[in-house]
Amino acid sequence: MFIVRFLARRLLQGAVIVFLVSALIFTLLRVVPGDPVRLMAGGMAPEALIEQIAEDMGLRDPIYQQFGRYVAGVVQGDLGQSFVRPANGAAVGGASFDDSTRGERAEVWDLIAQTAPMTLQLALLAMAFALVIAVPIGVWGGLRPGRLPDRIALYLSSLFVSLPNFWLGIVLALLLSVHLELVPAIGYEGFAYTILPAFVLAIEIAPFIIRTLTVSVAGVMGQSFIDIAAVRGLTRNQIVFRHAIKNSSVPLLNLLGVQFSMLLGGVLVIEFIFDYPGLGLLTINAVMQRDFPLIQGIAIVTAAAFVLINIVVDLCATAIDPRLDY
Amino acid sequence: MSSIDIAPEALPRRKGRKISARIWSEAFSSIEFRIGLAVFTVLVAAALLYPWLSEIDPTKMNIRAKLSPPVFMGEGWSWAHPLGTDQLGRDMLARSLVGLRYSLLIGIATTVLMLAVGAMIGLFSGYFGGRIDTVLMRLTDAQLSIPMIILAITILGVSRPTIPSIILVLGLAGWPVYARVMRSTVMSERKKEFVRGAMVLGANDWRIMFTLILPLVLPPIAFVAVLDIARMMIFESVLGFLGLGVQPPTPTFGNIIADGRKYLMNAWWIATMPGVFLVLTLTSINLMGAALERSRNKIYGGA
Repeated sequence: MFIVRFLARRLLQGAVIVFLVSALIFTLLRVVPGDPVRLMAGGMAPEALIEQIAEDMGLRDPIYQQFGRYVAGVVQGDLGQSFVRPANGAAVGGASFDDSTRGERAEVWDLIAQTAPMTLQLALLAMAFALVIAVPIGVWGGLRPGRLPDRIALYLSSLFVSLPNFWLGIVLALLLSVHLELVPAIGYEGFAYTILPAFVLAIEIAPFIIRTLTVSVAGVMGQSFIDIAAVRGLTRNQIVFRHAIKNSSVPLLNLLGVQFSMLLGGVLVIEFIFDYPGLGLLTINAVMQRDFPLIQGIAIVTAAAFVLINIVVDLCATAIDPRLDY
Repeated sequence: MSSIDIAPEALPRRKGRKISARIWSEAFSSIEFRIGLAVFTVLVAAALLYPWLSEIDPTKMNIRAKLSPPVFMGEGWSWAHPLGTDQLGRDMLARSLVGLRYSLLIGIATTVLMLAVGAMIGLFSGYFGGRIDTVLMRLTDAQLSIPMIILAITILGVSRPTIPSIILVLGLAGWPVYARVMRSTVMSERKKEFVRGAMVLGANDWRIMFTLILPLVLPPIAFVAVLDIARMMIFESVLGFLGLGVQPPTPTFGNIIADGRKYLMNAWWIATMPGVFLVLTLTSINLMGAALERSRNKIYGGA
């Protein structure tokens, strides 16, 4: 019963948040200068034609009317159609206004559904790499606060957090792909193309995990149940791996929820550098082409993902530590 | 951060020394703070003085000296251009240092703006509670759930990026975290006796908020904000890299690296050298920030 009430409350709150996000982005896109119709129709289109297209698409109506129409579509699962992308492949942003080859425009939902799995694959691999790098350093640092391992953890996390992802991506691509020819870098033609972008992303996430783990492991190790565990005759390894790490993982889960948007920002830049066909590259292209429906769709989907991940994180945290109450 | 106990009675009174002074001296005694400060000072001094002293114009082209490598690396280097030159023969060292100026300017201004907006919203939300709190916090949640970078590139992508607009956009995109932390500390302070005492004495809400609560809760948050200067500098360079930052010909880390990416195969230094500067600066700021954060936790933790 508790779980149903919890889910109902959180999903309702989540719906409010997603609604606010879409209102925010929608208004923002209409308030800032830059006419999408001009980009759609091409620079040579006559003014009258532009006005006519804009009228037909309802882009000259008051913002609240446009928003009402949009929300009505969204609740029926229709995120609208892309302004510039045709259903069958390449973007036609710069094409001339009377181009007869322009076909049906792509559904926003399809575009997102095609690219999201790629991004998910990248994000999961990056998360795995980040945990492999960060957990040993963080736990080791937390077990000896104030001593050398703790300092190493501090220095490493300060260094990692200072590496700009786009620069690291370029340098690693130059070193590992061009000079050493170890991993492929640009584009996507198979799983191997995910490794380098995921590694760069992992370096970006790792410092946060290191910092959180160092603090939380140090905190847990100072508590009395750890002292008692030694009296109960448990070995050091059992204490650390069975008791300390399990209890320190709750802040780590919370971190995942809070830092989700940072992860997504990293994905965006990294996909752009490596030309990785995921959600991030789609977003950047959408912004560059002023593809309003696509930007709105992506914002709504990411906000929904943010809400859902935070709900799952809280559920997992309660499962690990039943004392927590949400 | 929300669980920090900042009860005044827990603090040992040491000859009336201010808490922030104690945090500074505590941080200064740690080796990482000193390393960070030393590197940072050298870099800032170089950024301020070198372009002026050497009288090298970072935008002046010299096609004959184009693509000259850094000293001791490859053929045809010269002492005139210690870090080499780019595809138009512009001096990389001068360009990087001018880029550093802009990066620092934007990083610091953005963090101050972010802190100010976040602190105000958190203060109002935590102090008044009730309906104001609900509205402000839902707004914060909504803002927090749009990735900052998407918001920034959306706004800057469709409008023209200038330095003030970049500062404004990054600052307005980054406040929610501060608002949350501020709200939770203000809420715990608000119930304390000194606030009720002030109310009994007839102080109005504004007086309590700005003369009693704000000076008490702002410093611990402001110390951690040092780390955000580095984060904002990275954001600025990301925007520059995507072509949405300060526009060329003004050199910034982002647009130099984006430019150099095209010449990566035959002139690796154009893209990598500014990055080295950026990493050095960010590491020094992060070391200082981490030291300040630790000493703050130590002092406020009462240990």
